[in-house]
Amino acid sequence: MTPNDKRCVVTGLGVICAVGNNVEETWNSALKSVSGIHKTTSVDTVNCYADLAAEVKCDTLDEVDAPEEKDRVSKLCIKAANEALADAGLSNFNDDQRVSVIIGSCVGGVISIEHYHQGAKEAVDIPKMPIASIASQVAETCGAGGIVTNVANACAAGTISIALACDLIRAGKADVVIAGGADSFAAVPYSGFLSLHALDENGCSPFNRCNGITLGEGAGVVIVESYEYAQKRGAKTYCEVLGSGVTSDANHITAPREDGLCLMEAINRAVKNSGIQKSDIGYVNAHGTGTGKNDNAEITAFKTFFGEENPTVSVSSTKVLTGHCLGAAGAIEAVFSIKALTTDTVLPTFPYTEEQSAALKEKVGTLDFVQNTARPKQLKCVLSNNVAFGGTNAAIVFSKEQGSVTAQPARNKKIVVTGLGIVSPLGNSKTAYFDAVKAGKKPESASVKSTITLDDYKDLGIKMAFYRKLDNLGQLQTVSGMRALQDADFKVTEDNAKDIGIIVGTSEGGLGSTYDFEELIAREGNANGSAFKFPHTVYNAAGGYLSICSGIKGYGVTITTGPLSGLDSIGYSMNVIHDGQEQAMMATGTDENIPVITEFAQKLGVAASEVVAPFANADGCVVGDGSVSILLEEESYAKARGAKVYCYALGYGHGRKNVKFGKLAGSDEALDKAINDALADAGLKASDIDAVCGFANGFKKVDDIEKGALQRVFGEKLATMPLFEVKERVGEGRAGSAALAASEAAMLLGGELASDNAYFVAADGSVSSKFAEAANLKKILVISFAAGGSYSAVVFGK
Amino acid sequence: MANEEVKSKLKSFFMSDLGVDGDVLQYDTALFGDEIGLDSVDSLEIISFVDSTFGVSMTGVAKENFQSIDTIAAYIEAHKA
Repeated sequence: MTPNDKRCVVTGLGVICAVGNNVEETWNSALKSVSGIHKTTSVDTVNCYADLAAEVKCDTLDEVDAPEEKDRVSKLCIKAANEALADAGLSNFNDDQRVSVIIGSCVGGVISIEHYHQGAKEAVDIPKMPIASIASQVAETCGAGGIVTNVANACAAGTISIALACDLIRAGKADVVIAGGADSFAAVPYSGFLSLHALDENGCSPFNRCNGITLGEGAGVVIVESYEYAQKRGAKTYCEVLGSGVTSDANHITAPREDGLCLMEAINRAVKNSGIQKSDIGYVNAHGTGTGKNDNAEITAFKTFFGEENPTVSVSSTKVLTGHCLGAAGAIEAVFSIKALTTDTVLPTFPYTEEQSAALKEKVGTLDFVQNTARPKQLKCVLSNNVAFGGTNAAIVFSKEQGSVTAQPARNKKIVVTGLGIVSPLGNSKTAYFDAVKAGKKPESASVKSTITLDDYKDLGIKMAFYRKLDNLGQLQTVSGMRALQDADFKVTEDNAKDIGIIVGTSEGGLGSTYDFEELIAREGNANGSAFKFPHTVYNAAGGYLSICSGIKGYGVTITTGPLSGLDSIGYSMNVIHDGQEQAMMATGTDENIPVITEFAQKLGVAASEVVAPFANADGCVVGDGSVSILLEEESYAKARGAKVYCYALGYGHGRKNVKFGKLAGSDEALDKAINDALADAGLKASDIDAVCGFANGFKKVDDIEKGALQRVFGEKLATMPLFEVKERVGEGRAGSAALAASEAAMLLGGELASDNAYFVAADGSVSSKFAEAANLKKILVISFAAGGSYSAVVFGK
Repeated sequence: MANEEVKSKLKSFFMSDLGVDGDVLQYDTALFGDEIGLDSVDSLEIISFVDSTFGVSMTGVAKENFQSIDTIAAYIEAHKA
């Protein structure tokens, strides 16, 4: 049985979608088989072959603090979160570090991108655009002061958020997690799915006509708590959340594998990690989008997986109610799954004629595909699964009983860094980076970018048939990831493909590509979007391309919080290894600098007009980019294959003090917490740290926070402690720079970088710099930040 | 429009919109083979380009017509108004 300290329970539910503005309305619509699909009123449908959508009708979305600072997606999410919190009997947390927010999304603040582009291009729209704003604004609303992040795995994001919530609780990093997903209906996804000919002009008909999807919108939120915390406060509980499984297809950027193999692996992991039998599952809330490719792959997976052990399991897709709500889908479907479980009801897919029912029966055999009307069924466990662009598969189990979840069985195993891949404005290899360090290179202008060349592809054996499909972000991520595997001499084979996963950290992800797509359809009309370009708008496309190129089929998640995502990817990867889910993890930080990104930085007043150095007390920074991939392996796994070791990943920590998304001022002390948290995680004291790889970029507001926190944590010792600042060479490359700072630490500890320029902060706050030797450094702290008041820290050691 | 001009426009489209390296793309190169590696998403783009540029609909047209620039140009030639 799952030990009490590893049990996760659901204590609150919230939802908003086309068939209801709360759980009660939505559930009643589901019981009555009411579809929310209608002719759309919010996007231009001229010359478009399909004009249906499942839109939210709600007059009270603006009833939030400062509605003018929030995109529709954040408003949808806050509404669902408020309902879930009230349901759980929780309210303002006053920056409680044990309360986290994890929200999944696919298109984020896409309506603000549209508004910016078609309006006066005002700065006020910019902080509303990235997915990262959603969880931050939910946290700001309720005062959650723990880990605040977003999962950006497109249509599987909602499910992965809940899975990640449980992983955090089981790792002892949170007591309460507000987990869910949100997306709004808008021209970009509408035009994109039109261009893929993936919309059904008559409304989606999952597992039946299978002519395409109908887009929806909304948000779903579940409050996940540690069992012990919920017990202590006497909370009512809906159910337990047991195991989950996340895998990558490594096959195609938009289409699922026809054989459903990796989806099956995700379901298998979820059931196995739950410690239950296949026959314990009574109902599956399928992804069931209504496309032939998805629905057939799912039917194949269900028939094969459940086989003779559970031949009559009930299955349905609820997307005929809500439409396909993309990043919200998994979260809304979690609410349906939990209500189904706790009321012993199975929900239907509808409408089916008798003839269609007979045809379905032919296809699915003994499986019980529930049709037309909901009906009672005694349930013990419910499975919900979702698949996404980028080849992501996710599955999760909700249960009335506590199951036998195993978590953190590898907690005491050591994690080593064995491979680094560096793509930066300095070049696309470690050698280029070393040369730049030796030469004391500085950015060539106030806006610098990385450039991938044909030589990079040639060196890595990447064929034109593959690289021609990549957008800029995908190029950066693919090359850095493949370089890391090359550096580690890690060969991905059929035998080990499932032992290794990827976590991509990004600040803006596909925001630039989404803006380009918006430009295209504003010019050409919604009927003339590009099927080639649309996949690049999803933030996890870059990670998906790396998975396809490398063949990595294990865990695959893209997180987006801000620059610190490039360190969070390391922290979460350590957790995945400790959980025994994977033996090796590729942790990355990737962000791009295409012209619109520099334009945003300039409009926000954070871009310097000329090159500035760290601690220059300037009123802006150099805008940069980059992708850095770091291969982490469980020590014995690495040793068994004779890997060279750079250093050990010893600890990860996080701190948050809520300020408005887009701001940092007033959140300083949260960096102290992140550092102390990482030190505690590593079992170290401040006096054990020999150097810091920081985030200073020359912008006074940012650099002062770093200086202040380091002075408070390290006291007098700081004056003689070298601070290595990678942004002096590559500019502010957000997640790319955070991961580069971690790489710098690994190279200093691993002996590949013998010395580097370092900054020293005197007691009076003045800063000097000189070359510092790496030979005596044994433990290095790496830190990063995010707008909204989040900070992360990682400790690497020899 | 001369057949050569149609082929030249198609080649430019493959290079600018589908990321194909012009050096390896001849008029008879297999588009859906290992080297160029076009797939179903790319074919949607080809259909859209041919329709808007030459006024010829290739929706639902048999696969063999998409084999190379030569075959697409031949289809356009045979079906343009």
